[in-house]
Amino acid sequence: MFLRMIKGILTRQWKKMLMIAFTIALGASLASAMLSVMLDVGDKVNQELKTYGANITVVPKENSVLNELYEVEGSGGTGAYLKEDELGKIKTIFWAFNIVDFTPFLDTSATLDDGSEVQIVGSWFDHHMELPTGESLDAGIVSLRSWWELKEGSWLDEQRDGDSADCAMIGVKLAEKLGVSAGSTLHVKGAAAEKDLKIVGIYDAGGSEDEQIYIPLNTAQALADLDGCVDKIEVSALTTPENELSERAAKDPSSLTVAQMETWTCTAYASSICYQIQEVITDSVASPVRQVADSEGAILEKTQLLMILITVLSLIGAALGICNLVTASVMERSQEIGLMKAIGAQNVSVTLMLLTEIFITSLVGGTVGFFAGFGFAQIIGRTVFCSAVSLKPMVVPIVAVLVVAVTMIGSIPAVRMLTRLRPTEVLHGR
Amino acid sequence: MKKRRMFIRMITASLMRRRSRMVVALLSVAIGATILSGLVSIYYDVPRQMGAEFRNYGANMIFTASDGEMSLSDVEAAASKISDEQLVGLAPFRYENVRINDIPVVASGTVPEGVKATSPYWKVEGNWFTKSGELMVGANVAESFRIKAGDMIEVTYTPTEEDGTEAELDNSVFFTVTGIIETGGPEEDYIYMTLEDLATLTETDGRIDVAELSVSATSDELADYVSGISAGSAAVSASLVKRVTASEATVLTKLQALVLLVTIVVLALTMICVATTMTAVVAERRKEIGLRKAIGASDKSIIEEFMGEGMLLGLFGGILGSVLGYLFAQQVSLNVFSSSIVFRPLLVPITVIASIAVTGISSLMPIRSATEVDPALVLKGE
Repeated sequence: MFLRMIKGILTRQWKKMLMIAFTIALGASLASAMLSVMLDVGDKVNQELKTYGANITVVPKENSVLNELYEVEGSGGTGAYLKEDELGKIKTIFWAFNIVDFTPFLDTSATLDDGSEVQIVGSWFDHHMELPTGESLDAGIVSLRSWWELKEGSWLDEQRDGDSADCAMIGVKLAEKLGVSAGSTLHVKGAAAEKDLKIVGIYDAGGSEDEQIYIPLNTAQALADLDGCVDKIEVSALTTPENELSERAAKDPSSLTVAQMETWTCTAYASSICYQIQEVITDSVASPVRQVADSEGAILEKTQLLMILITVLSLIGAALGICNLVTASVMERSQEIGLMKAIGAQNVSVTLMLLTEIFITSLVGGTVGFFAGFGFAQIIGRTVFCSAVSLKPMVVPIVAVLVVAVTMIGSIPAVRMLTRLRPTEVLHGR
Repeated sequence: MKKRRMFIRMITASLMRRRSRMVVALLSVAIGATILSGLVSIYYDVPRQMGAEFRNYGANMIFTASDGEMSLSDVEAAASKISDEQLVGLAPFRYENVRINDIPVVASGTVPEGVKATSPYWKVEGNWFTKSGELMVGANVAESFRIKAGDMIEVTYTPTEEDGTEAELDNSVFFTVTGIIETGGPEEDYIYMTLEDLATLTETDGRIDVAELSVSATSDELADYVSGISAGSAAVSASLVKRVTASEATVLTKLQALVLLVTIVVLALTMICVATTMTAVVAERRKEIGLRKAIGASDKSIIEEFMGEGMLLGLFGGILGSVLGYLFAQQVSLNVFSSSIVFRPLLVPITVIASIAVTGISSLMPIRSATEVDPALVLKGE
């Protein structure tokens, strides 16, 4: 009988129920869209912030202390280098997945035909790399120096077959000084070899790079006779904002308790990523670039907080909307319920029937709404960040609990009214 | 005249008598209006607030000497072209080669307050230097000379003449190290002292090598400032730090687009919610409509009355929503950015008009269908 009554209501009053289901679907879609976006916004904004460039630099151990001091006087390096063949190991650390990009650099200098000295930097442009794990990676300054403005020509294409080893890109100020343009050739004499470099592009970096020449890493190594050597590695990694624990750990990892150590290594702090990079690259010192790492943390936190607050507001809005409608639709049926009570229905059974009805409706509405909301989240992700918003499993239970709770709470005033309802009055039309 | 009074009386009476239902409807309209005004306020304030956050990345404009030398007064004169609210910080730097224990180090003379403002990311172990006789050293310098905060060190200045011989001048001054700087950048290789101390040490003064400015402005405004300053000042040439400005523009645009889209989605959904509530409110009064029609009311007068009621709801809901929305946006701003939001008076009429329009349109459809019903059928309860 109970089932039949429910079925009857759902089939005969389907219009009204549809409206409730529709409202619930709207609320649920809002909730799931906002939650999906909110949970994913951290990763997305983090990716965007990667345009600021590397947030970790790796230099040789001895180098980190003295070389840069002496360089002031114009003397060369101290002879400490990182090994190029170890670069792939960066992608094998525990946080390999968080490492977005990394690029080696080798600074050297060369003499031009007119006797003047220029700074030459060897690096990757869009280097293709087969990793020990079997994956492959395209990394280089094309993505790590995204703020460079190309004034003339094009980016050096390392993967192109043939003569890319003899190509070079030159800073706008140096190009102006030397009077070269894209397409011209520059003869340089390094410590060990001479080369004719073909200028393929002129960039404007708005910094000291404007007076340098960038060439592929191997060419620079040949010029300076430093096979397999690298001066510096810049790493761009997705990191968690630093906190007190990570700062203590960065200073001295041995000062942590076992539990703290575990938290530290299992969180993507810049300092713990640095620590792990130092372990795989021989004799290296990895340090976070505070300018980038700190600000990223701050901006990320603010964005997430902003999204959380907006989400909470829209959830409250959705919840109140659903509550409203459920209350309204139940109150409307006072006559019908009065009749049931008049012919002997108990308060409990009337309430139970009502709640079951609404529960079924909210289930349908909630499911539809969840998928619609996920669709909304995708639209937002695609238009704003040009990438899909990933479906976080925790959204499903949150939305489900939310929908059920809200509809049940929404029916409380209605149920209270029904139990107090006197059949005679209602049926009489008052 | 009488007719209008009757009209107003009917509307207010219907609102008053069906108080609980109307409160529910008012609430839903108010929520919609709150979301509208709150989110739009946030949307307009995000670039400003986030822009301030982005200043954590450090200077986005630098001054260099265009020809020969520039002095501190040149720099200040050029910086005065930037409005005070937008200028977050100005840090002039002058670099000289000095020696500690006969080992060369680059010393930089600067203004500590300026650096604090332009480079908030500097982490100083110990304290910032504040007065003459104090200096901070970079982490790398500190490590190689085994210096810690609180130590006294002797800094000597011996200029090298062009022919490579050492000059007669051989000044040395004792300094107290107040702090060690950690930045992860080249700053760790320098030592920092006040401009006056560097002037005393080198016995020359007035020269500034570079000045860093942190300006909170859009990329267009920044470009205007750069061309204005470079054209207007003979000694100073301004340029933008591309890495900072280009990236800031990208990220800010994305963030604003995100808030805009979220606002649109949330708004569309709440509008529909308001509409369904209004539909439910009108639909349950079909009987009343039937009765009125039976005693001779025209369709037009019924529509007018119900619309008047709906719009009144929209008006109150809109006003309530503007206030709540402003409060909400204020709370968000205080919590997220710890600064208050700008009140936008234009938003109040927009919110009110929008909520009146939404309630009006959403009650129009159910009223229409209600008026089409035969009064006899409705009253009979079918």
